[in-house]
Amino acid sequence: MSLQALSPEAVKAAEFIRRADIVVGIPSYNNARTIGHVVRAVYAGLAKFFPQLTAVIVNSDGGSTDRTRDEVLSARVDDQHLLLMSTPAIAAHRLSFPYHGIPGKGSAFRLIFEIAAKLEAKVCVVVDADLRSIAPEWMDHLVRPVLFAHYDLVTPYYHRHKYDGTITNNIVYPLTRCLYGQIVRQPIGGEFAISSRLFRRYLARNDWATDVARFGIDIWMTTVALAEGFHVCQSFLGAKLHDPKDPGSDLSEMLKQVVGSVFALMIEYEAVWKATRSTKPTEIFGFQFDVGVDPVNVRSDRMIRAFRQGCIDLAEIWRMALRAETFAGVRKLGLDPPPAPFHFPDELWVNVIFDFACTYKRHPLERGHILSALTPLYLGRVASTVIEMEPFSSAEVEERIERLCLEFERLRPVLLANWDFGPDAPARQTNARDREVVRHDRDVKASA
Amino acid sequence: MTETLRQVLEGVIERLQHQVATFLPPLLAGLIIVLTAYVLALVSRWVILRIFKGLTIDKFLRQSGLAFMIDPSGRLRAARVAAEGAYWLFLLGGGLTALSIFDTDLTTQMVQGLVFLLPKLVLSGAILLAGTWLAQYFGRSALVWAVNEGIPGPRRLATLVRVLLIFVAVVVAADQLNFARSVFLAAFIMICGGLILAVSLAVGIGASQGVGRFLAEKQDRAREERPSSLWSHL
Repeated sequence: MSLQALSPEAVKAAEFIRRADIVVGIPSYNNARTIGHVVRAVYAGLAKFFPQLTAVIVNSDGGSTDRTRDEVLSARVDDQHLLLMSTPAIAAHRLSFPYHGIPGKGSAFRLIFEIAAKLEAKVCVVVDADLRSIAPEWMDHLVRPVLFAHYDLVTPYYHRHKYDGTITNNIVYPLTRCLYGQIVRQPIGGEFAISSRLFRRYLARNDWATDVARFGIDIWMTTVALAEGFHVCQSFLGAKLHDPKDPGSDLSEMLKQVVGSVFALMIEYEAVWKATRSTKPTEIFGFQFDVGVDPVNVRSDRMIRAFRQGCIDLAEIWRMALRAETFAGVRKLGLDPPPAPFHFPDELWVNVIFDFACTYKRHPLERGHILSALTPLYLGRVASTVIEMEPFSSAEVEERIERLCLEFERLRPVLLANWDFGPDAPARQTNARDREVVRHDRDVKASA
Repeated sequence: MTETLRQVLEGVIERLQHQVATFLPPLLAGLIIVLTAYVLALVSRWVILRIFKGLTIDKFLRQSGLAFMIDPSGRLRAARVAAEGAYWLFLLGGGLTALSIFDTDLTTQMVQGLVFLLPKLVLSGAILLAGTWLAQYFGRSALVWAVNEGIPGPRRLATLVRVLLIFVAVVVAADQLNFARSVFLAAFIMICGGLILAVSLAVGIGASQGVGRFLAEKQDRAREERPSSLWSHL
């Protein structure tokens, strides 16, 4: 195993500390406003729940221009008696290093894993730097299943606003569940605990220079663990409060990196997901309770406009990426007079995702275009769910997401049939597709 | 009178006999060569189509998008390309051999000209093909980028990119063939200059208000959005 991401400074610090049981990594980039709170919560959690273990907090920074690194190194828990600890708190070491290589969350994680490996840590935890709802208990909930129940990966399980986590709810969660047969509700949640065995496996892989170095890291970690038979569980962490974003704003690159990683892993683990026959639940640790969450503002009109514009402008790429019937369905939705209210059906959405995955596999040189061309479709789908879920309670939203997951599972045979494409198929496919589109256009004209 | 007529007729017949004796054998030989070449071309095409499946190349053609670019139905197969190539090569070879049998200045020049031109033609064809592929690729890149960034007229932008790149390929191919070099080069420079001028005018004068509005809206949007972490949650 090569330790490529470690700078001499980091090696020196690791050699000084020598060993640690727990390494908590916090990737950051201009998070001076929130990172102090995160460090204090982690520090308090380690002191309160694992006083007997040696712990190190590692901040892997992407070149922040604010005081992020200073905040990490200066954060203190002044009133330790308020934690009601029976033993005096032993200060956890705190390190802050800039990572090198491709700028992104994945590269930051790599540095954290390298340090954890160097310190021979038993468990490595990663948490986001912009969390506002992190509490000391999170450390307990994340670390304990690895240390005492021998799990390899602990993923978060928390309440989020119904409009938050749209990539998770519409693509990543249902697709991962359908492919690998395990229900992991937040596969790209951002907070994970990883066993020594698993983070060493991550480090041994050679795809760190791909989208994994950026936003693809979360789904990559979860998928590798699921596909390679590591033990995965979930921990209830309450609510996730952070700086939410409008799902319609500046997400093309993020979507591209996450979905690109999912599709790339589908190619790698083809044999695994093809052999999946059923879906099984994943254990959830922690006592579950209801919590309030921050509202997320979404502009669905803007997303619908982007989708309709995509129908006009991206037809040539969608025609390549989608099967005839899917393409016709999308065009009908985008170009026909708007139904009230706008509705992107589950079946059509699942077909879109499956078709894009198959095309991603078949056209390696066009992968960038294919992934980028998914954005308007995704926006259309998100707008539809936002409109539909407006009156829903949290439980109803979960029910609705469950229905989507079942639709993914129902249409799995479509994916299996289209995934392995014979050399003669494109011609037949294209002819049929063209005929279908011509017929649809004729129908639209006739009805007009 | 009769004697003169007889002499003229005898002269004509003699010349005809001479010409037939001179040109008929090579003509027949040429015909036989062309026919043989035709048969060989047919046989080679048949053999290539039967033996050479071209699976790997087919995969490459499909994955690279070349198959869809040359034949929009996607039915293009490497075996078909190779077979057609062999067919036309045999026909061309047969035709050239048949021409060279006549051994006249004209036919020699024709054969030489064709032989010298052939590599350049092939190279130009390859340049045009590569240029078209690149044009399609970058056209699509421009299209998806413009759509996702909300740039007005994304299809027009993509067409512009395609036309420009194909034009560059045509200029390079024409340069290879020594065909109207200066005309193409001048046209290329004029188009590039014109484009730069048009963009400058559009930005500087015509669209200044629009650009100002666009930038102001963008700034407003940026101001509206709260500063967020790079690690935004998904």
